[in-house]
Amino acid sequence: MSQWLEQVIDAAQISDYLAPVRQQALEKLKADGWPARRNESWRFTPLTPVEKREAKQAVQADSLPVPAIDNLNAIDLVFVDGVLVTQVNTLDVPAGMSITSLNNDDAATQQAISSVYGQVKPTRHMFGLVNDALCQHGIFINVEAGAKVDTPVRIVNMSSQNVDAHTRVVVKVAEGASATVIEQGFGDTESLTTAFAEYDLADDAHLEHYRFAMFTGKAKQLGGSHFKLHNRTTLNSTMVGYGSELSRLDVDIHHAGEFADAKMNAIYLLAEGELFDLHSTIEHAMPNGTTEENARGIVGDKARAVFNGRIHIHRDAQKTLAELNNRNLLLSRRGVINTKPELEIYADDVKCAHGATVAEIEEESLYYMLTRGISRSKALVMLNFGFIQELINDVPNTAVREWLAPILSERFAQMEVK
Amino acid sequence: MSEQIEQALERKYDAGFYSEIESETFESGLDESVIRRISAMKNEPEWMLEWRLKSYHAWLEMEEPDWAHVDYPKIDYQAISYYSAPKSMKDKPKSLDEVDPELLRTYEKLGIPLHEQEMLAGVAVDAVFDSVSVVTTFRDKLEEAGVIFCPISEALQRFPDLVKKYIGSVVPRTDNYFAALNSAVFTDGSFVYIPKGTRCPMELSTYFRINEMNTGQFERTLIVADEGSYVSYLEGCTAPQRDENQLHAAVVELVAMDDAQIKYSTVQNWYPGDENGKGGIYNFVTKRGVAHTNAKISWTQVETGSAVTWKYPSCVLKGDNSVGEFYSVALTRGRQQADTGTKMIHVGKNTKSTIISKGISAGHSNNAYRGLVQMGPRADGARNFTECDSLLIGDKCGAHTFPYIESRNPSAIVEHEATTSKVSDEQLFLCQQRGLDTEKAVSMIVNGFCKEVFKELPMEFAVEAGKLLEISLEGSVG
Amino acid sequence: MLSIKNLHASVEEKNIIKGLNLDVKPGEVHAIMGPNGAGKSTLGYVLSGRDGYEVSEGEATFNGKDLLELEVEERAREGLFLAFQYPVEIPGVSNMEFMKESVNAMREQRGEEPLTAAEFLKKAKEACKQVQLPLDFLKRGVNEGFSGGEKKRNEIMQMILLEPKLCILDESDSGLDVDALQVVADGVNSQRDGERSFIVVTHYQRLLDYIKPDFVHILADGKIVKSGDASLALEVEKSGYAFLGKAYEEAEA
Repeated sequence: MSQWLEQVIDAAQISDYLAPVRQQALEKLKADGWPARRNESWRFTPLTPVEKREAKQAVQADSLPVPAIDNLNAIDLVFVDGVLVTQVNTLDVPAGMSITSLNNDDAATQQAISSVYGQVKPTRHMFGLVNDALCQHGIFINVEAGAKVDTPVRIVNMSSQNVDAHTRVVVKVAEGASATVIEQGFGDTESLTTAFAEYDLADDAHLEHYRFAMFTGKAKQLGGSHFKLHNRTTLNSTMVGYGSELSRLDVDIHHAGEFADAKMNAIYLLAEGELFDLHSTIEHAMPNGTTEENARGIVGDKARAVFNGRIHIHRDAQKTLAELNNRNLLLSRRGVINTKPELEIYADDVKCAHGATVAEIEEESLYYMLTRGISRSKALVMLNFGFIQELINDVPNTAVREWLAPILSERFAQMEVK
Repeated sequence: MSEQIEQALERKYDAGFYSEIESETFESGLDESVIRRISAMKNEPEWMLEWRLKSYHAWLEMEEPDWAHVDYPKIDYQAISYYSAPKSMKDKPKSLDEVDPELLRTYEKLGIPLHEQEMLAGVAVDAVFDSVSVVTTFRDKLEEAGVIFCPISEALQRFPDLVKKYIGSVVPRTDNYFAALNSAVFTDGSFVYIPKGTRCPMELSTYFRINEMNTGQFERTLIVADEGSYVSYLEGCTAPQRDENQLHAAVVELVAMDDAQIKYSTVQNWYPGDENGKGGIYNFVTKRGVAHTNAKISWTQVETGSAVTWKYPSCVLKGDNSVGEFYSVALTRGRQQADTGTKMIHVGKNTKSTIISKGISAGHSNNAYRGLVQMGPRADGARNFTECDSLLIGDKCGAHTFPYIESRNPSAIVEHEATTSKVSDEQLFLCQQRGLDTEKAVSMIVNGFCKEVFKELPMEFAVEAGKLLEISLEGSVG
Repeated sequence: MLSIKNLHASVEEKNIIKGLNLDVKPGEVHAIMGPNGAGKSTLGYVLSGRDGYEVSEGEATFNGKDLLELEVEERAREGLFLAFQYPVEIPGVSNMEFMKESVNAMREQRGEEPLTAAEFLKKAKEACKQVQLPLDFLKRGVNEGFSGGEKKRNEIMQMILLEPKLCILDESDSGLDVDALQVVADGVNSQRDGERSFIVVTHYQRLLDYIKPDFVHILADGKIVKSGDASLALEVEKSGYAFLGKAYEEAEA
């Protein structure tokens, strides 16, 4: 058992309406203990930066300026060091949507939250359990049946001091409603953030989702976005991962209804000694679902990318279409890429495929660009970034796309230099 | 349609008979004295015994692996007999005429006549019956070419230095739980040495037969292809139909020196147990080859038998420009479980590997591909291509793919693709409309699915494999 | 402009060009015809400097410079343009971004200021119109999902934008219907200004109805076996390459 985990378990104070989930999480943490080195879930991602850490949460935090996404008219909700610094009750929220804190006295709201909190996210994620038990600051977003909310809600996690931050987002999108949620995290100072989000999408709901896991440097980010899709829901998710001393993102998409359609694009750009680990699990429990997942990354310098993409087709999930594609580019001899696309299939009338590549750029494309007078170094940058650009082009929100393109190409240009 | 296909996965297991042969079988149980007895029976040099004992003590310290997708009751290692040999073999028959005719009949029934004049001309056979080698054919002809092909127990007498040099050099004693057990208790197996620049004049083949009850088979095969040589080696295996599970834990080591080529083919048809999962062989095998500069190692396997299969024939591509290949068809039905795949470890520059894996699942079986492709930091220009296809027949089976890919070299290229499909109603309909019955149609479609792998098998084996698949699928369709 | 003397070149240790001589002066249009496997495409690759195409003997000078000493992109910047028979698709790199980079590389070579995005867009739109490609082609990935004809027109558009000194057109007519052929030929003809030279590589005479050559050369088995004026192309059209005899048959085999 690690010092950190012991302190986490000691620190848990369980008294609110979420007690049953918190208690269960705590029991499981105690029973499971610290993952052994050969634990499959952490096989390529050492937890040493957390193991001996002092578990300590901030009591309060000051508001920090939040970098804007130009031309994006969003509702911003900001956590600093795990403390919700936005006055939620003063927000101007569009009709059909409500945003409240998880600390809520209203019985009906508590009940709605309890129906999602710890219910969508599987219990196998250790840091998710820590978050279950310790999270004191969280947000509940509720979208009423039929409400089409265009205004994106942006949730930002920032760190300013060396503490553990445990924040939670709970989202319920009711029948036929639609919403856009952006989860964003950044900071580079010594800190630890567990940011977990659970989404419960009722029949015919639509969610446009973004997760920008942009912590770098000494900031440790261990988070997850988890989705439960009911009949005919559509999910379009875009994830961007930067690496840090320890960055791990767990994504679960659970097809709990029929004819649900999930699309997920993930980009990771890693430099220096950064590590980024993306674990995604797609559960097709019901028939007629579709999933398309694309994860693409570039790894430079001494960085390490870990990708584990699992597609699980349950016995009853006939007529599922599921595809997963992972492409990687390794720029440096000191970098490492570990990728494992997994298929686990128990139904016969399905179409499933996955592919993973680690490659250098195609000679033919390079030659073509050279014959047009473009310098070798410039051509390499354009070609290398091209397969990332394809996913950027796929971002549905224009403002987000236009914000993302230059910052990613800038990050990439810096990786090339190093 | 799929119900039709699914119906009655009862199967014929042609090799399921038991031969009435008087055997000398150790009482079950494993301790140091058993290992000393095995070593003494084989009149082994002292170093071999020490090696076995070291392995045994290491094994005692090791933990039995617990695999996520393989499920079987715990093996009682004290309930297994670690040595069994026909009594008639005790006097070491000098020629085929001295071999117990019942033994010869056993092989004949399996389709492997051991009289040279009756044999397929181009194939030399080492026939291993429980814990001993019964006979090795065409030895004279091979020795003319300088090729050594004999039971490993005999190689320990005649070429102890060669064995000592290479045994455990590819699969270390303590590589894994079952390799350690094998290193402690292995009884027989084949030893092959192809001298420099020699193209082995015929196919070499070992046929393993488990006959006795409650015995484990622990064979060890070591193939050394010296510089610039070539050998094609085939392996086949069967066992009687029994309600009890039996353990087969083999180790195969291949050494391909510079410019050498080894082609290793397996048709594995151990008894798979009945449709309810009763009985069958636990097939836990460690196979690995090291390829030096410009060398090539090619594994081809057709896996249709065993209750549980756990094997990953692997290549360590140590030398520059070395090549590794893995072609596999794994068919599971009933309650069979197969967890098989390969590891391609790219160490040298410009190393190339190809993996083609075809998994067919039917009945209540589970069929998993598990593989590792690793590109080391020195493996400039290395390439891998992997294709894993699964075919599901019926909706009570499972098909799984777990490929691990690790790259540490920016100029290395890894491509992995996996798909899954079923025998579609349209395909069946087309075949039927052209006058084929369902069974024939499925078998044709499955054969087509496996074609890429079958074409890698030596001719005689390709035919056998096709037939085996047909028999295996028999009754699995309406 | 271009002078090739006794050029020998090989691919994967196989000799393809076996002693080729060719002189191209400013403003001239040379057609190179020949059967499949004669080395027509190889010539373009060798002159543009493609990796894996090894020159074992001979020389090639371009505007007084030793062409074979230059890197691929340096040759391009000197004004050598190769229109590919099968242009590669580069998803993720937009046509616009690609051509802007390319045009500005040429401008830099000529000591000109790079074009601003707006200036470039204006030029690109004109070129697009000239080869009858819809404007959204500029936004799409380079050649991504283009039909064969669109790829060829895209090549010609690039030629128009890059204003090279020597254009090598590698089977720019293959796979085109008559209308598309006309567009390609018009694009090429619009660039004939008395200074710019062309090497038109083609299997068929058809393209030469549209682009009138000054000289026609027959390439077989890695060398020019016959040269003449435009009438030689018509002769080939009429009686095929049979007059090449043995050399032809070998090349075909």
